Amino acid sequence: MENGNSTLEQLQAQFGADTFTPQATKDEILTLWMPPAKIVEVLTFLKKDIPQPFRMLYDLTAIDERTRKPDNGHIPYTFTIVYHLLSFERNSFIRLKVGYRDEFPTVPSISSLWANANWYEREVYDMFGIRFTGHPHLYRLLMPRTWVGHPLRKEHPARATEMGPFALYDDKMDLEQAALQFKPEEWGLQRQSDDSDFMFLNIGPQHPGTHGVLRIILQLDGEDIVDAIPDIGFHHRGQEKMAERQSWHTYLPYTDRVDYLGGVMNNLAYLMAVEKLAGIQVPDRVKVIRVMLCELFRIASHLVWYGTFAQDVGQLSPVFYMFTDREKVFDIVEAITGGRMHPNWFRIGGVAQDLPKGWETLVQNFVNYFPKRLKEYDGMVMKNSLFKARTKGIGIFTLDEAIEWGVTGPNLRACGMEWDFRKKQPYSGYEMFDFEVPTAANGDCYDRALVRVAEMRQSLRIIEQCLKNMPEGPYKSGHPLTTPPLKKHTMHDIETLITHFLGVSWGPVMPVGEAMSCIEATKGANGYYVTSDGNTSPYRLRIRTPSFPHMQMLPYITKGYTVADLLSILGAMDYVLADVDR
Amino acid sequence: MKWWLSKPDDPVKATSGTSSYEETVQQSIMLTTVQDLVAWGRKNSMWPFHFGLSCCFVEMATSMTPKYDLARFGAEVIRGTPREADVMIIAGTVFIKMAPIIKRLHEQMMEPRWVISMGSCANSGGMFDIYSVVQGVDKFLPVDVYVPGCPPRPDAFMEGLMLLAESVGKERRPLSWTIGEQGVIRPDKIDVKERRQEARSKMTEFRSPDEV
Repeated sequence: MENGNSTLEQLQAQFGADTFTPQATKDEILTLWMPPAKIVEVLTFLKKDIPQPFRMLYDLTAIDERTRKPDNGHIPYTFTIVYHLLSFERNSFIRLKVGYRDEFPTVPSISSLWANANWYEREVYDMFGIRFTGHPHLYRLLMPRTWVGHPLRKEHPARATEMGPFALYDDKMDLEQAALQFKPEEWGLQRQSDDSDFMFLNIGPQHPGTHGVLRIILQLDGEDIVDAIPDIGFHHRGQEKMAERQSWHTYLPYTDRVDYLGGVMNNLAYLMAVEKLAGIQVPDRVKVIRVMLCELFRIASHLVWYGTFAQDVGQLSPVFYMFTDREKVFDIVEAITGGRMHPNWFRIGGVAQDLPKGWETLVQNFVNYFPKRLKEYDGMVMKNSLFKARTKGIGIFTLDEAIEWGVTGPNLRACGMEWDFRKKQPYSGYEMFDFEVPTAANGDCYDRALVRVAEMRQSLRIIEQCLKNMPEGPYKSGHPLTTPPLKKHTMHDIETLITHFLGVSWGPVMPVGEAMSCIEATKGANGYYVTSDGNTSPYRLRIRTPSFPHMQMLPYITKGYTVADLLSILGAMDYVLADVDR
Repeated sequence: MKWWLSKPDDPVKATSGTSSYEETVQQSIMLTTVQDLVAWGRKNSMWPFHFGLSCCFVEMATSMTPKYDLARFGAEVIRGTPREADVMIIAGTVFIKMAPIIKRLHEQMMEPRWVISMGSCANSGGMFDIYSVVQGVDKFLPVDVYVPGCPPRPDAFMEGLMLLAESVGKERRPLSWTIGEQGVIRPDKIDVKERRQEARSKMTEFRSPDEV
């Protein structure tokens, strides 16, 4: 990664030396405060005019600063808007912050600059009550239309049990159902064209093809999709608000359930950020154990995708084969961690326990067994002419479109870009492994499938290397913030005993600062942006998930296709609703 | 009702007995009551509604795949429409935004209908005591079986289904014009904790987690 100095110089040359105030952060991403009046100007410059531009809006979020401890040199803003941009040419992120002093600020919208800013701004409006001027559809995105308040504001209650008992009376049912009624005019959709009436088809939130609680409203001209409006938020579990009351340690099980097919991979994304904050370097054995478990989960997740995708386009039997293999992965996961889908097995500064005796045989058996199966599936699914007919040339997007919409992971690589965070910004020791980054050229549904199938082979290669080169050593780092703390550091005197007791009961206190992680998760770039004000729980935790921008792109890539193609596109996208709505 | 199974490789042999008139009638005529027959039929073909909310749904789907094979219990016929389904499995977190839809779907199911609450979120909100989550689906739906776990293993889900089948088999629907109990008489809910207590208290030796 290049350091941010040249970027800062270029920005200062353009906008003057005193426009930006740099801030030091733990993750060493260039962080600049800028005045509200210059948002659009600066972001336009960064996207279009700067050499080696920042072409991807990686994330956009806000922070409610009102209850922050004042003693750490923090500027007393009420709300901060945070923009994360990614430059592929520079291989670096930039973080831009804008502070506001109003209770309900108004911010200029950048939805005309980046296509994917639309949903991010709607989310910020929904969660914080911050309005964006110039936004085309500033409605709630995640919460029901009937909701009162903005959940991520500090005054909004976090617990359901603080909000009074839940009851669903008939009149409330009618009210909620009326709020769910789709009004085409609200979205600027016509009811007729020159020669035909459009039909509005409501798919979901309960539909076998949507892989969960997702609602899509289609505007149809016969069988052809004119427009699609995804309605999300049916799976919103308040994961970000939850972090503000859990301790740094007890938040770990929640991360498992963000991308619920990714298992411990989510732990890793969170821990990469927390360990940056704490300044923990984990031992090599921890790194390799983590990599091995993550790659096993990548295979498990891709297998679910493989089977259900084939099922979506009409093949009923592959899913039975793939789930059988997934069970083989889970046999290993269960032997090592004791859990299946949500092992919650990584810890701050290590893993929960050492690998059990005999793990090598289990992994070796799987490494021997799986390639043959993958070959069989190639014949069963990928070479099947009906499967090809349903997926080739469907749901195409180009590389530029992918970047514009914030697409990452296999979906980006299917457009021909060899971009994998494991290679480009290695974390957790991925630089020590020998593997390739599969890509494809056409960016259609079939190519996305090709990339994922090839990825499973690469994951298996990584697992094999873990098996052959598992380093000896401790499974926890000796850092004082490692949680649970090492037993050997206690029982010396009253001080060590108290430190240990507090570390276990209240949980660790992370130093003041902020850090963002970015890992190559099963579905794309997953990152946690954590802010600590020196407390036992995060002050603010933002989860950047890959499925959210992918889902946002749906209307753009389904236009002109048929309803049957929509299911191919959804299947190839590989999303999990928990990953979209969090 | 008396019935038996013979395996394909069993040697062919004469049926035991005296070939008396009484015995022949016994073997070819089945006598039962309508409510017993209906309960038996219902118990052995519970058709689940294709409905899932979150993580638990993946484990529920796993129970239909070969390793667990829910088809053994006549419950693999997943129905895409609530009209054709017998049992609705609330597999996952019950979101406030989703609650009116869940209730509507339940109303659309035909009687007799049953509800299994699968996983901690559906049972009680579980670990998600958060503004957007209903603290247990029983706040607005009648629940017949609660399956604990986060998510429950496919085996645990199947056990829940078996428990439900057991009590469905015991349901009584008296067809009567006389004065007395009308409608469905359901058996008491089964307390698995009590049922298992003895076996569990005998479990004293456990495998070490340090070995696979």
